[in-house]
Amino acid sequence: MIKADVTIIGGGPAGLAAAIEADKNGAKVLLIEREARLGGILKQCIHDGFGLVRFGERLTGPEYAERFMQEFNERNIEAKTLTFVTQIDRTGEGYTLTLVSRDGMHKVLTKTIILATGCRERTAKQVFIHGTRPAGVFTAGTAQNFVNLCGVMPTQKCVILGSGDIGLIMARRLTLEGAKVLGVYELQPTPSGLTRNIHQCLHDYNIPLYLSHTVTRVFGHDRLTAVEVAQVDENKKPIDSTRQIIECDSLILSVGLIPENELAETLDIKIDPNTKGPVCDQNLQTMLKGVYSCGNALHVNDLVDFVSESGETAGRNAAAWTPKKRLFASLFPGDGVAYVVPQKMDLTDENQKAIVYFRSKKVFTKSSLQVIVNGVSVYEKKYNHLRPPEMERIEIDFAGFDLKAGDTVTLKIKEGEA
Amino acid sequence: MLKRAKKSDKIILTVIIFWCVRKMNIKKLQKRLDEKFPGIKVREEDGCRFVTGELDDWDKIVKACSMCVSKDKNVHVVNDIVFTGKADAPMRVPAQTDNTLDGKRPDVLVIGGGISGATILRELSRWNVDALLVEKEADLAMHASGRNDGEIHPGVDLAKGSLKQHYVLLGNQMFPALSDALDVPFDRCGQYACFTQNALKGFVTLYALKRKYIDGCKETYIISGKKLRKKEPNLNKEFKFALYNPTAGCICPYGLTIACAENAVQNGAEVSLNTAVLGMTVENGKITSVQTNKGTLYPHIVINAAGVFSEEIAKMAKDRFYSIHPRRGTNSILDKKAGKLLGSIASVKQLELHTHTKGGGLLHTAHGNILAGPDAVETNEKENFATTPTSINTVFTKQKVTAPDLTERDIITYFTGVRAPDFEEDFVIEKGRKTKNLIHCAAIQSPGLTTAPAVARDVARMAIDILQAEKLVLRNEKFTPVRKAPPRLAEMPVSQRNRMIKENPDYGEIVCRCEEISKGEIIDTLNAPICVPTVDGIKKRVRPGMGRCQGGFCSPLVAQIIAEHQGIPLEEVTKSGDKAFLLFGKTKGGEEL
Amino acid sequence: MKELVCIVCPNGCTLHIEGEGKNIKISGQKCRKGLTFAQNEMTNPMRSICSTVRTAFRDVPVLPVKVSCEIPKDKIFEVMQAINRVTVQERIGTGDIIIKNVCGTAADIIATSNILKE
Repeated sequence: MIKADVTIIGGGPAGLAAAIEADKNGAKVLLIEREARLGGILKQCIHDGFGLVRFGERLTGPEYAERFMQEFNERNIEAKTLTFVTQIDRTGEGYTLTLVSRDGMHKVLTKTIILATGCRERTAKQVFIHGTRPAGVFTAGTAQNFVNLCGVMPTQKCVILGSGDIGLIMARRLTLEGAKVLGVYELQPTPSGLTRNIHQCLHDYNIPLYLSHTVTRVFGHDRLTAVEVAQVDENKKPIDSTRQIIECDSLILSVGLIPENELAETLDIKIDPNTKGPVCDQNLQTMLKGVYSCGNALHVNDLVDFVSESGETAGRNAAAWTPKKRLFASLFPGDGVAYVVPQKMDLTDENQKAIVYFRSKKVFTKSSLQVIVNGVSVYEKKYNHLRPPEMERIEIDFAGFDLKAGDTVTLKIKEGEA
Repeated sequence: MLKRAKKSDKIILTVIIFWCVRKMNIKKLQKRLDEKFPGIKVREEDGCRFVTGELDDWDKIVKACSMCVSKDKNVHVVNDIVFTGKADAPMRVPAQTDNTLDGKRPDVLVIGGGISGATILRELSRWNVDALLVEKEADLAMHASGRNDGEIHPGVDLAKGSLKQHYVLLGNQMFPALSDALDVPFDRCGQYACFTQNALKGFVTLYALKRKYIDGCKETYIISGKKLRKKEPNLNKEFKFALYNPTAGCICPYGLTIACAENAVQNGAEVSLNTAVLGMTVENGKITSVQTNKGTLYPHIVINAAGVFSEEIAKMAKDRFYSIHPRRGTNSILDKKAGKLLGSIASVKQLELHTHTKGGGLLHTAHGNILAGPDAVETNEKENFATTPTSINTVFTKQKVTAPDLTERDIITYFTGVRAPDFEEDFVIEKGRKTKNLIHCAAIQSPGLTTAPAVARDVARMAIDILQAEKLVLRNEKFTPVRKAPPRLAEMPVSQRNRMIKENPDYGEIVCRCEEISKGEIIDTLNAPICVPTVDGIKKRVRPGMGRCQGGFCSPLVAQIIAEHQGIPLEEVTKSGDKAFLLFGKTKGGEEL
Repeated sequence: MKELVCIVCPNGCTLHIEGEGKNIKISGQKCRKGLTFAQNEMTNPMRSICSTVRTAFRDVPVLPVKVSCEIPKDKIFEVMQAINRVTVQERIGTGDIIIKNVCGTAADIIATSNILKE
């Protein structure tokens, strides 16, 4: 039986940051990683642009990950790689984890758990693409794995559905490797990826972006031979007269990410339907005592810098965890706000400063974010632009708002004022 | 003498009357056809009803032929109507050709690697005969057997007198022992046919009594809505009562097909995948040779278990006396998270709905997912497995009545299968009518999975009888009915799993996170009696890629394991065999230095 | 008047450019990086590229690389060809130079991962 104060599940940017921070705060830390190497998805994100907020540099994914891995190794934090958590059981005040690895089955007794399990991609079936089931339908992440880690080409001529960042990055990457990207089709009237990615990944390479369009059908028996695309109306229904068949060998999907919370679900941890991640307090502790969540498992981030930040928050607090009863006020997304993290403020905690992450539901220009406590506006911040692809981060000190257990805090966007 | 003469006269007279009645029946039928489908002709010949003419609408062809079905069960409708609409694509055949089977002289050649062919091959392997199964696809169970809901039917919807009904009752009873022997999980979960209208209770009770006491479906009960909800709390609160069939169950249909074939191979039979029958030579009422893309075979007996293509095989064998009209159906699989919705099989029954699909509805699969479907749509396209939004909508609209919490959001995948019914809507299980060394196991539609083990016993018996008339055929003394599935580590107790990993560390390396499948389990399937080194082949056997990520994370890993095991470059690995390549060579412009 | 989107950081500021050549007036940037970006973009647009190079090692078939500094946009595919021609024969690590002064751009192709050393 291995014993730990803080056990972190997932060795990507969130897990690494959590492990380092928990170690800094004196906890005995164990990190568990499913794959052979630490770094998570950053291993295959070989493009640059990571770490601008944190390091003021444009690092590539592997470089960003390796900065943390270096510190992780220097601190001699224990890591179990190629190890998979099959089960978590509650044991007294803590938890017992069952691990499987090439050495066999192991048990870990831990006081706290940090879930840093990242996210997964939505699939073709989840966006209801119909037709045949040939080879040649990939998620952008799978295509990225093939190209950047395996050194093989999943396509020569493709259509990309969805303008999520990985899709845009892959459009450029595949073009650089000699493939022809015929177009990026986006269901929404606005792009889902960052504006600069639209420019540096599509415009630079003359790859057309078709907004309010979707792929409706796939053709081909063995290998994909064509897709059908169509423009959609306001209700996102394909317009028949615009249906068009495009010959290609692949359909690459970048249609959204979903936090991976299968382990959280086995523990019956409350999940926020808006984020698809666990409901957490300002310390990123879930509604289950001693279990924390961070990174893309908590909510899907667009910048890795914030993934690391939430990892640190979780790591620091997990290291300091003591059993106690928490009392909560609740944060809710109001008008124009898609989601808010954290969803709870633990009023028994000394720290009433919270880093609040939120996303807008649609594009707003010249607007302001208001924080309403029990009907009264207590905080306001102005924004020139709010866009759904861009997560916003604000720090709010709730200490002065005189919150009581059961109070509601609403974040809403007020339009047209600046 | 006089008396005798009279007797034979009587016989002749009876025959003449019978013939006249038939003629009249045909005349009447023709009249009705003329009214509904002018230009369509029917004639009776050789114990078949040939329907001829020209139509541009496939549904009309199906209707016209269905009208011509005879009351005499031995008389089949043969569809010779020329379809002038969009023709079906020609049968897909494997790209590869070689001579690996050339000159082979198997005692029995089974055509078709679906559940019928696989169970027949297994039954044949109980004997000391050379049995060879050929399948044109890269894997077994690629058509109807791999694309159905896996329900083991109770037979409650069938009346006495059909082959289907005869075999469904026999087959259903065989499943516990069969699944045990072959190590394929079978769950006798029971089935509920649910009704919202209390007024129907009397009628349904009578129906159930008839099934029970006349048709021999012994276990069927009427239960109250209250009792139904106690067993299945998430079903519609409006259900007033249900017909409960405890003998219904579910099994993984392709898992069973693969297991049967593997067991047959263990016992000495042979399976050749990627092998299509392209032609036959028939001389003096006997098939003398069979041409395939892997050479010419000289089988003693041929068994036609070719599913949607059984009519084509019958035609090649000059023994076509029935016609297949393909019927498409789409099933959706829901995330295991939604598995709590129900633990059995259930469907709303509305009397006005008359479709040619049994069970249907919602089903808790042997793997713990919920399956919704299938629908039933007539089609001329035998191999069009494309899904359409309409099918999913039809199924969900209907099944949301069964379980109001059912939601499309939980769908992780969906697939379409094409069933192979004839116009009589019964099986064709008999020796060739003109061609003597041929046995048909054709027109197998629902409940073909349930009936397969019982049908296979009879078909194999027919083949052995033909062989025994010519030579001595002994039982296979080494036959074992037991086949071990590759170990499923995730289902083992920790200590046993630990022991297995110590022996083979690959069992400790998880490749598929959604279904918790190890590298060792994947390698096991590649070392199985029938190796199908494709991503889909492995997915069917041990399920990596069957979970919610649908292979997003694990497909590159699975492809790498296949490449390593087969000693081929990664870019030669296929999704489903043949030309279904996953990749186009290496990056860096593909050039090696 | 011309509009550009600054790609230096995730802010993606929309820049407004008046005039041509060296006499241009730039507005819309949140920081100084936007100014430099717009000036370059109007005269000699520069880009950074990331890719992989082949290796001689079976366990790591390709190694991630990047240009050490930005290269002219119109040289991207020429540089890619140079990247595609090399095969890494040694277990080099992050920051190690693979191609010096690639295509005469003054940029080096450097490794961005230590994967070969692990």
